[in-house]
Amino acid sequence: MTRPDILVLGIGNTLLGDEGVGVHVVRALMESPAPPGVQYLDGGTGSLVLLEPMQEARRIILVDATADGNPPGTLQRIVPKYASDFPSSLAAHDIGLKDLLDSFYLLGQEPPDMVLYTLSIALPQDMTTELSPALAVAAPLAAYTILMEELPG
Amino acid sequence: MNKRIVIDPVTRIEGHLRIEAVVENGVVKDAFSAGTMVRGIEKILKGRDPRDAWAFTERVCGVCTTVHALASCRSVEDALGIEVPRNADLVRNLMFCAQYVQDHVVHFYHLHALDWVDVVSMLKANPVEASKIAQSLSPWPKSNPGHFAAVQQRLKKYVESGQLGIFANGYWGHKAYKLPPEVNLIAVSHYLDALEWQKDIVKIHAIFGGKNPHPNYLVGGVPCSFNTEEVNAINTERLNHVASLIKDAITFVEQVYVPDLLAVAGFYKDWAAIGGGLENYLAYGDLPTRGYRDTASFLLPRGAILGRNLNEVHEVNGKDEQEIKEYISHSWYKYGAGDGTGLHPFKGETEFNYTGPKPPYEQLDVDGKYSWLKTPRWKEHPMEVGPLARMLVAYAKGNTDVKELVGGVLKKLDVPVTALFSTLGRTAARGVETQVVAHWMKGFFDDLIANIKNGETRTHTRYHWDPETWPAEAEGVGMTEAPRGALAHWIRIKDRLIDNYQLVVPSTWNASPRDTKGQRSSYESALIGTPVANVDQPVEILRTIHSFDPCLACAVHLYDPDGKQIHQVQFN
Repeated sequence: MTRPDILVLGIGNTLLGDEGVGVHVVRALMESPAPPGVQYLDGGTGSLVLLEPMQEARRIILVDATADGNPPGTLQRIVPKYASDFPSSLAAHDIGLKDLLDSFYLLGQEPPDMVLYTLSIALPQDMTTELSPALAVAAPLAAYTILMEELPG
Repeated sequence: MNKRIVIDPVTRIEGHLRIEAVVENGVVKDAFSAGTMVRGIEKILKGRDPRDAWAFTERVCGVCTTVHALASCRSVEDALGIEVPRNADLVRNLMFCAQYVQDHVVHFYHLHALDWVDVVSMLKANPVEASKIAQSLSPWPKSNPGHFAAVQQRLKKYVESGQLGIFANGYWGHKAYKLPPEVNLIAVSHYLDALEWQKDIVKIHAIFGGKNPHPNYLVGGVPCSFNTEEVNAINTERLNHVASLIKDAITFVEQVYVPDLLAVAGFYKDWAAIGGGLENYLAYGDLPTRGYRDTASFLLPRGAILGRNLNEVHEVNGKDEQEIKEYISHSWYKYGAGDGTGLHPFKGETEFNYTGPKPPYEQLDVDGKYSWLKTPRWKEHPMEVGPLARMLVAYAKGNTDVKELVGGVLKKLDVPVTALFSTLGRTAARGVETQVVAHWMKGFFDDLIANIKNGETRTHTRYHWDPETWPAEAEGVGMTEAPRGALAHWIRIKDRLIDNYQLVVPSTWNASPRDTKGQRSSYESALIGTPVANVDQPVEILRTIHSFDPCLACAVHLYDPDGKQIHQVQFN
C-alpha cells in the first residue's frame, strides 16, 4: 500500500449507539472515492493496530465522539497540543489514543500533524447499532465539513 | 485493621469491571468482582441474518476482535452442518496464532510488565551492565550499550518533561519492585521494541482478512483467494511476506519475550505461591488439524481439570445442556423460571433487572445482585479459563511440545510443577503458549503452501450458503479460545433469522460474581491471600488481576471497614 498523505480515522464502537459516530462519519465519506493521497480508515475499537497507519500518515484527521456536555451533535474542530486535549475515553480502549500518542514520543518520533473533530454525545449510550436522531443528522454533516475543509480537490 | 480496596477497571465495551477486596493485616481476606456496565449484544443480533453476526460480534471487544468473528462463523456452520475446506481452517488458524502472539506479547510488555518493572528505577541503570546481562540472556541484536543508553536518554527526557503518560499510574519506588535497575532498563527497552514489532505481526490479519482493524471473516470459509500470479489475490509476494512475519515473530518471542519473562520471574519466585485461586481449569481448545468437528485433532486440546488433578482430563460438550449453565443470583438479570435456576446458553435469557444503587456509589451490596456479568459454571463447578487452563489441559493430555516447554521453564526457574497454580504460573503459561503457538503458526503456513502447490486453492464452500436450503430451525455452538480464555457463541436460527444468540466470554468465566451456592469465580478466588504491603499502593492486587489479562483498564478505590472511601487511583 502506498503511504497516504492524509489519514481520516474514525474511531468508536458501533455497537454502542452514538459512541460509534466517528466510524459512521468515515463510512459516510467512504461512499465516494477518496481524493488522491487520502485514506479513510474505520478504526472501530482497534487500538495498537492503529499505530502503523497513524505513523505513516503526514497528517491525521481524527473523528471521535465526546461526552463534553454540549448538545448532542455539536461538531468541534480541535488542534490538539497535549494528550489532555483528547476526549476522555468514554469507555477506555485497552490501549487508548492517548497511549498511542505517547508511543510516538517513546519511539523517538515527532507527533503527527493532527486535527481532531469531535461530535458531542449524551451518556450513557444503549447497546444499539443505530445513531440517535441528533447524531444521525450530525454525522453526514461532519463528513461534508471534513471533505470541504480538510481534504484536497 | 480491615480495609476494603475497590478496583474499578474500564473498557470500551465489556464496561467497567470493579473489584472490591477486604484487606486485613496486609492480606486480602475476601473479594468481590463486578461488571458494572450492561452488555446486550444478544438483543442487537436477534432477527438478523446469521451470516452477518460475525461482523457485529467482532466489535464487542477492541482487543480480541478476530476470535469473536471466528466463534460466530463456527456457530452458524455448526448449526447448518457446514464443513469448511482445509485451507479455510489453515487460514483461520494462522489468524488465530497471529492474534495470540501479538496479544500475549502486548499483554506482557504493555499491561503486565509494569506490575513488575520499575520504569523510574531504570534511569539509574548502567547501560554497559544492562547490555552484558541482556547478552547473557539472548542473542537479540539490539542488546548493545549504545542502544540501551539511547533508550535511557529518551525515557529520561520523557519523564523529566513531567508527562509520564502511560507510565503515570505506576507505584514507582514501591518496595514490591525487586528488579535491579539494569533489568528494568532491559525490560523498558524491549517494551519499545515490542511496540514496533507488534505492528508487523498484525499484518497477517490484513493480508488474509482484507483489512485491519476488524478483518473480514466468512461463514463457510475465509474471504480470500489464492492465486500465485494474480495481483489482487493472495499471491507469491504476499505469501512470502507472511513467511517473513512468522519468522520474525518466532525470533521476537524466543529472543526477547521469553528470556525477559524468565529473567523477571527469577526475581519474583515468591509469586509462585500467590494468586492460585480456583483449582478447576477449562479449555474449549482450538487449532483443528482435521476439521473443527474432530476435536481430537486440536493442537490446543479441549477438556476440563478438576481439583488440580493433572492425571484426569474430563470431556467437555458445549451442547450438553447439563454442562455449561449461567446463573444470575448475583447478576442484574431475571430469568422466567426464577433467579435461582441455571440456564444453558441455548435457552439463555437476556432480561435486564438492575437493582443496584445509582452510580457513582461507594460500595456494592454484595449480598444481593452486584454485577452485569452472569456466572457460568461447568457441571456446577467454577472454572478458570485462559493460558494457564489451556497449558494445563495440554500438559495433562500429554502434548509433547507443551510438556517440553513447561518442563524447561520449571527447571530454569527451579520450581515444582505446583508453582504453575499461581499468579506467576499464569504469566509463565502465557509465555510458554506464545512460544508453542508461534511454531505451530509456521507449521500451518507450510501446510497451506503445500496445498497451494498441489493445486488445492479452495477457501470456501457454497454448501448451505443459500438460506432457501436451510431447515426451519437449527441451533449450533461455535467454540474457540480467545487469548484470555474459553469463548463460545450459541446460536438458534428460526425461519432463517437469528432467534437467540448468547455469548459466554472469558471475562464472564473469570470475573463473574458468586454463584447461587456462594462459590467464587476466578478473580474473587485468586485474590484471597494476596499480600498488600501498602493499601495506598495495591500493586500486588494488580499483579494477580493482570495475570488473567483482563481486556480492561482499571481504577482502584480504597475503603475502610465502614465502607468509607479513603483512596482512589485511576489506571489505564
